[in-house]
Amino acid sequence: MNKILKLTIVLFLVCAVVAGVLGVVNELTYETIEEQNRIKTERAYAAVLPSDGYEEVAFDEEANPTIDAISKCTNGAGYVVMTTFSGSQGKITLAVGVDNDYKCTGISVISHSETSGLGANAASTAEVGVNWRAQFVGQDDTVALTKNGGSIDALSGATITSRSITGAVSTAIKAVESLG
Amino acid sequence: MNIKKQFKEGLITNNPVLVQLIGMCATMAITTTLFNGVGMGLSVLVILTCCNVVVSAIRKIIPNEIRLAIFVVIIAGFVTIVDLLLQAYIPALSDALGVFIPLIVVNCIIIGRAEAFCQKNTVGASFFDGIFQGLGYTLVLIVMCVFRELVGSGRFGGGLIDITNGFRITMDGTGAGIQLFPSDYGATIMTLPFGGFITLGLLIAIMQYALKKSAKKKEAQEMADKEGEE
Amino acid sequence: MLTNIISISLGAILINNFIFSQFLGCCPFLGCSSKVETATGMGLAVVFVMGLASAICWVIDQYLLVALHLEFLQTLAFILVIAALVQFVEMFLKKSVPSLYSALGIYLPLITTNCAVLGVVLLNVQNDYNFLESLVYGITGGLGFMLAIVLFASVRERTEFSDYPECFEGFPICLVSAGLLALAFMGFSGMQIF
Repeated sequence: MNKILKLTIVLFLVCAVVAGVLGVVNELTYETIEEQNRIKTERAYAAVLPSDGYEEVAFDEEANPTIDAISKCTNGAGYVVMTTFSGSQGKITLAVGVDNDYKCTGISVISHSETSGLGANAASTAEVGVNWRAQFVGQDDTVALTKNGGSIDALSGATITSRSITGAVSTAIKAVESLG
Repeated sequence: MNIKKQFKEGLITNNPVLVQLIGMCATMAITTTLFNGVGMGLSVLVILTCCNVVVSAIRKIIPNEIRLAIFVVIIAGFVTIVDLLLQAYIPALSDALGVFIPLIVVNCIIIGRAEAFCQKNTVGASFFDGIFQGLGYTLVLIVMCVFRELVGSGRFGGGLIDITNGFRITMDGTGAGIQLFPSDYGATIMTLPFGGFITLGLLIAIMQYALKKSAKKKEAQEMADKEGEE
Repeated sequence: MLTNIISISLGAILINNFIFSQFLGCCPFLGCSSKVETATGMGLAVVFVMGLASAICWVIDQYLLVALHLEFLQTLAFILVIAALVQFVEMFLKKSVPSLYSALGIYLPLITTNCAVLGVVLLNVQNDYNFLESLVYGITGGLGFMLAIVLFASVRERTEFSDYPECFEGFPICLVSAGLLALAFMGFSGMQIF
C-alpha cells in the first residue's frame, strides 16, 4: 500500500510541476496569441474591404446561424461578414466584403482544414488561390458555380469546397441585404 | 563520447523514420510544402532534445513502474509549450500543421528515444541523440516535401522561399516558392494522401536497398580479406 | 440534428477516413494488419476506446478545462485521460467480460499511443462538437479505422505471396498498397452530404 501511495505522490508531483510550468508559459504567451488572432482578423478585413475602422452591428442570429459577425465599415464603404460553415473536410471561416450595392468586394479564408492541394487552394497565397478568390469580386447574392448556372469556376478536384464557399458568400450578401 | 557515430546513426543508419519505422503519421500527413516540413521537423527536434535531456537527468530518481506515465507527462508538457510558442510567434505554421502539433505527444519517436536511449545514457549523450535523431527526422521530411511538391505542383520551397523581390526566406508561410514548371502540368495526386504513402514507401525501399548493398559490400570485403590472408 | 449526425458518420467512415485521408493511427494500422483476425480485434478495440474517450474527454473539457479557463492543459489532460481509460477498460474487461478481454486484451495497451484516439478528441474540440456529435464522431471514426485496417489486412494476406522487388520487402510494399487503397477511398471525396 505504501508503495502505491509513493507512486501516486511522485506522479502527482510531476503533473503539478508540468502544469505549473505550462501555466507560466501560457501567461507569457497569452497576450501575444490574442494579438496575433486580432491582427489576422484585421488583415482579412482589410483585404476584403479596406476601411479605417469596423463597427460590429446587430443582425438576426436566428435566421443566419452560420454567420458569426457583421461589421460596418466606419468609412461607409459597406460591410464585412464573418461566417463559419462546413466545407468538405471541416469548418471553414471566411471573411466576405459586401459594398453598399450588395456586391461582393472580396473574400478571405481565415481558417480551414480542406485537403492540401485541392480544397486548400481556396486559401492559397499562390496564383491559383488568388485568381480563384478574385472571381467573387462584383458578384451579387445569386453567385453560383458554372455547373449550377453561375459564373464561378470550381477549383479543380474541389467542387464541394468551392460550392460551400460560394453558398456562404451568397448567404453573407443576403444577410447584409436583410439589414436594410 | 562518440558524437560522430551518433550523428551517422541519427541521420542514416538508425534514421527514426526510414530504419526504425516510427513516427510515420505526421511524416505522410504534413509533407505537402517545404514550409510545413521544415517547421514540423524543427518542432520535433526541439521537443525531442528537451525531453531527452530532462528524462536522462531524472532517470535515476523516477520509479520504474510509472516511468512511462511520467515520460508522457513530460512530453505533453514540452509539446504544449512549443504549441503555445508557435501560436504566439509563428501563427502561420500553427495553422498549417493544426492538430499534428499536439499529436507529437503520441509520436513514437519521442517516447521511443526516452525508453530506448535516455534511460541508460548521460545527459550529454541524450542531448546529442535528440539533436541528431531530430535532424534525421527533419531530413526525411524535407526530402519528402521537396519531392511531393515538385512532382505535385512543379514548385520548390512553397511557403518558405519568396523570389518576387529577390531571394528571401519567409517565416510567415506567405512565400510562393519557385515555380519550376506550371502547376497545371504537375501530378496533383502526389500532394494527396496517395502521394504520401507512395513517397514514403519508395524512400524506405531505397533505404533498404542501400543498406543491403553496403552490407553485401562489407561481406565481400571481409571474404576478400580472408582469402588474402590465406 | 439527424442530418448532422448522418453527415458526421458518413464523413468519418468514408470521406475523411482517419487512415486514408487524415493519416491518424498509421502505426497500429501498419503494425497490426498482417492477418484479418488480428486486424478485426484491433479495430474493435479502437472503436470501443475512441467512443469512450470522446465522451469522457468532452465532459472533462467542457466542465473542467473550459470552465476554469485551463484550455492550455488540453493535450496533457487528454493524454492522461486516455492512458488511464485504457488501463481501466483493461481491468474491467479482465474481471467482468473475460471473453471480450481475451479477444481485445493484447491490443488495448497499444491504443494509448494510437494517434487516432488523441486525434479524435482534439478534433472534437477543434470542430466545436456537442456531446452527442463528439460521441458519434468517436465511434464512427473508430469504425472507419476498422474498415480501413480490415480491408488492408486482406490485401496484405495476398501480397505475402506475390512477387515484388526484394528491397520492397516489409514496410515499403505495405505503404504502396495502402497508397492504392487511399486512392480508392478518394472516390468518396466527391460525395455531397446534405
